[in-house]
Amino acid sequence: MHEMSVAMEICRMAEERLTPAQVAQLVEVGVEVGDDSGLEPENLRFCLEALLMHPPFVGAKPVIRRTAGDALRLDYLEIDDGRPDD
Amino acid sequence: MAVRTIEVREKVMARNDELAAEVRAKLAAAKVPSLNLVSSPGSGKTRLLERTLAELGHELRFAVVTGDVQTQNDADRLAQHTQRLVQAVVTNGACHLDARQVMEALDAVDLADTDMLFVENVGNLVCPASWDLGEVAKVVVLSVTEGEDKPLKYPKMFRMAEAAVINKVDLLPYVPFDVEKAIGFAREVNPALRFFRTSAHTGAGMDEWYGYLREKIAAARAS
Repeated sequence: MHEMSVAMEICRMAEERLTPAQVAQLVEVGVEVGDDSGLEPENLRFCLEALLMHPPFVGAKPVIRRTAGDALRLDYLEIDDGRPDD
Repeated sequence: MAVRTIEVREKVMARNDELAAEVRAKLAAAKVPSLNLVSSPGSGKTRLLERTLAELGHELRFAVVTGDVQTQNDADRLAQHTQRLVQAVVTNGACHLDARQVMEALDAVDLADTDMLFVENVGNLVCPASWDLGEVAKVVVLSVTEGEDKPLKYPKMFRMAEAAVINKVDLLPYVPFDVEKAIGFAREVNPALRFFRTSAHTGAGMDEWYGYLREKIAAARAS
């Protein structure tokens, strides 16, 4: 249950930071999970995958980086906007 | 490649922490300390509060917010021991209370007429450890019908707590619970943890618990 509520908060944060067009271009969600955060990383990945495959998302991949301590951060959002690199 | 990375680097709990800071500031301005009671289900949090309200309610003005996944049974029980406000938060499946729920509950509390706020969290030794509710302290309740190694199994909760209530001590003659062993395990994860040994059923040890509550109220008034 806890992992799902955290996954929902991560999705809310992503939507808050991206334009609707960017949400539809989201391809990767980077999350930092501390060993003492009280979360089971594989469970969180499963919950994120389940949420990110439904609109407004289009199947972005969660990438979880484990760290020491109790950190729990939304690290980065990766979008494919179809434009060439700068 | 057309992939762009947007750095965020923000705590997932950031919004909750902001709201918790608002709750803490509001309570501090009113000089009302808040205790966040956490435990696994069945440790006796509600019974501890029932007895506290019944025995200390004539002296101190308590407000209570209870959290449960379903039902408001705990709030109904507590309301029988006080004429003051007991608010039920039904989380509808969520395994913890969050700061937004406490902030909303405070809207109905007359803080000028309150000495202390109890928040009785959802019974769960994992998730409530991660959610700041604006409390001055978390108090973890552990009953003697549980295992002594709970502090080792759920270290974050015991690390986050200021005090531990070892409850149901009246059952010690009938269960293989070693109090000193449990305290030793708890001190391994949190050497500063304070302990109270209580039976909310018989009243044993409750005076020490009440002393702690008076101490927290005095500290809030002096701040």
